[in-house]
Amino acid sequence: MGKKQMGGYAGTILYVDLTTRNILKKPLDPDFARENIGGLGFGTRIFLDLIYGKPDFDALSPDNPFVLMTGPLTGMMMNGVARWTVCAKSPYTGFWGDANVGGYFGAGLKFAGYDGIVITGASEKPVYLFIKDDVVELRDAGQYWGKDVYAVTDSMKADLKDESSKKGQVLAIGPAGENLVRFASLVHDKGHVAGRTGMGTVWGSKKLKAIYVTGSGKVTPAYPDRLKELRDELKEVYEGSIFISAMQSSGTPSHMDVGILSGDIPIKNWQMTEWDEIDELGPAVIEQKISAGSRTCFGCGVACKKEAEVKEGPFKMKKGPSPEYETVATFGTMCLNSSIESVAKANEICNKFGMDTISCGSTIAFAIECFEKGLITTKDTDGLDLTWGNSEAIVKMTEKIGKKEGLGAILCQGSRKAADHIGKNSHDFLTTVKGLESPMHDPRSAHGFGLAYGVSPRGACHEASLTFEVEGGAIFIPEIPELSSELPLGSEGRAEMNVAAQDYGMFFSNCAVFCNLGAGPLTATPAVDMVNHVTGFDYTLEDVLNAGRRVWYLKRGLTNLFGARAKDDRLPKRLMTPMETGPSEGSVPDMDLMLKEFYKLRGLDKEGIPKKDVLMDLGLSKLAELLYP
Amino acid sequence: MPVFESSEKFNEVLGGFFRLLANTPVIADKLLESKLIIRFNYTDPDLVLVIDCSGEKIDVRSGDMDTKVIVDMKMNADIAHKFWFGKVNLTMALTRRQMIAKGPVPKILKLLPAIKPSYAMYPQYLMENGYGEYNIH
Repeated sequence: MGKKQMGGYAGTILYVDLTTRNILKKPLDPDFARENIGGLGFGTRIFLDLIYGKPDFDALSPDNPFVLMTGPLTGMMMNGVARWTVCAKSPYTGFWGDANVGGYFGAGLKFAGYDGIVITGASEKPVYLFIKDDVVELRDAGQYWGKDVYAVTDSMKADLKDESSKKGQVLAIGPAGENLVRFASLVHDKGHVAGRTGMGTVWGSKKLKAIYVTGSGKVTPAYPDRLKELRDELKEVYEGSIFISAMQSSGTPSHMDVGILSGDIPIKNWQMTEWDEIDELGPAVIEQKISAGSRTCFGCGVACKKEAEVKEGPFKMKKGPSPEYETVATFGTMCLNSSIESVAKANEICNKFGMDTISCGSTIAFAIECFEKGLITTKDTDGLDLTWGNSEAIVKMTEKIGKKEGLGAILCQGSRKAADHIGKNSHDFLTTVKGLESPMHDPRSAHGFGLAYGVSPRGACHEASLTFEVEGGAIFIPEIPELSSELPLGSEGRAEMNVAAQDYGMFFSNCAVFCNLGAGPLTATPAVDMVNHVTGFDYTLEDVLNAGRRVWYLKRGLTNLFGARAKDDRLPKRLMTPMETGPSEGSVPDMDLMLKEFYKLRGLDKEGIPKKDVLMDLGLSKLAELLYP
Repeated sequence: MPVFESSEKFNEVLGGFFRLLANTPVIADKLLESKLIIRFNYTDPDLVLVIDCSGEKIDVRSGDMDTKVIVDMKMNADIAHKFWFGKVNLTMALTRRQMIAKGPVPKILKLLPAIKPSYAMYPQYLMENGYGEYNIH
């Protein structure tokens, strides 16, 4: 198809070299767009091209490229399409790193005329990137450096509001990123967070404090009438979806009520799946004690994001983003902490400092277990009584991590490195795969999660494919047999499901960048149709599965290039220890079986590396050259 | 082949279980707090059960199509039977429309923790009341 017909995309990618301060605007090649769709489809390709000549580098060095990419649907006024992606080598794990985030920033970037930003090099002094349509400048960030995310967001919006009639969007790091806390995040609008794998740490190493974007343009679909017709058809689907209703009423913490039934929620650092105080962290108590309204992402009527406020007491906080399910679990159930107010406060601290709540909360749960078992004492914690359920100590330790103060200077490197420091048998308490703490969904209750965590290129992650959504039941893809069959309990069939969930998931939430929550009701047919109506391309399901498959192999191959091997695909001892009671009693994933089947299906060698012929068949010759020099 | 051979038998078993729950304070108290009136529309075999938590005691009524309810649930009888063993992935059943729920979602979700103890009661109830043949092993 001709260039003029390509819809959805802004049409330009920005290249910013922080070392030379050189800024380039490169037109988006329609053939490149057609082949890779967008998001991490673009990100993985561009990243590979940039490191091809020098693949051996430190994640905190100027040689680590950072790539931010929107999808073709980002900026459309529709449910579940506001998201965008970031990627780089992870300074937290040393392997491939990426994250996915919503809000208004992606739409703002496209309205300014850009599908994405590629950042290379490093600045000597703190800078921020200012984007206002054609005006793109690196500016001194001296006045913002050292400020927390909330402060810099408010200051920057106030300082720059006169430069444009359109509202500006801020993406920033906090003190954690500046100080190279290894799980630092990027935070947009105070509560939309690219949390996992330390992408904020990459910015800190580059002395990039923020990106401010304001745009006056718009993005238009190739076939607006077809898109409107499809959206009208989907209204009934959304209205009938109890999953969407749950998201609208309680957001992701609605999972507290459902997950406890199946043993999905880790409790006491993954040592329990039942707890008498669980309801204290559930949606009803959240509504009663901290709820302060809803907010949403650009164009999305689902509005699953919630606001919280704690009016009095030791955890007093102003109205701001409410903790998501993962945060309620990491700072709540994982630490046996039933104070929802303290969870909201810990969430606020993480957002202000710019830290991943999953890694931070899990690392604190790990430290509590070390304290309980005498591996660390009050001498290590500056007097803090770091015991299960001590909500004040948990909140204080969160702040210490952000400040790299006392034990916080150890824990800020994450639980795996903290275990190396603490020694003795503390490694037994770890929940990490490839150095990344597992998310709050227990593979002992759904074995496919175990394989998903194991083989995920970025480490233990419930969003590295659609396995969590499919096996957990939130997404149903009848067009793909592996994603719609009724599997028996256990590990059987999970390898096939994981492969399909990776291929389709890379298309769905990595390339098209659909939201796994807001776009959850979409099956494959409307999802592919939507991409076609917006872009004007003519993808089939097979086309998008092929694109997704390439992205999975690129991420996998890059993580192998950075040193990951078969041993890194294993679950930690803690997750492989069967529960003695509860819904998942006696059940552990059969990792030997699933990995054996998975390696065969994916064409991985015994070290877990994609075989050369598999990569060549997918057209990934550059990756093959790096892995097989 | 459905688990229950007739509507009468299903009513006897499941209706009886709901009446047991209605008389179990740890569960009944929370259900009564909800003030919900729920109609379960079962198929294969067909049965309608209304669980009325709006009064001082829980009232379980079979065949009541007249009461204006707050929550309307539809599902196959076999799915309902499996549910009380704690063997149904609720999210999946709802997504795949094996269970269809209409009504205020927060109030429905709030019931889940309340009924959790009933999972352990159902197999015991079946055994103690001569319905052991329906137990899932």
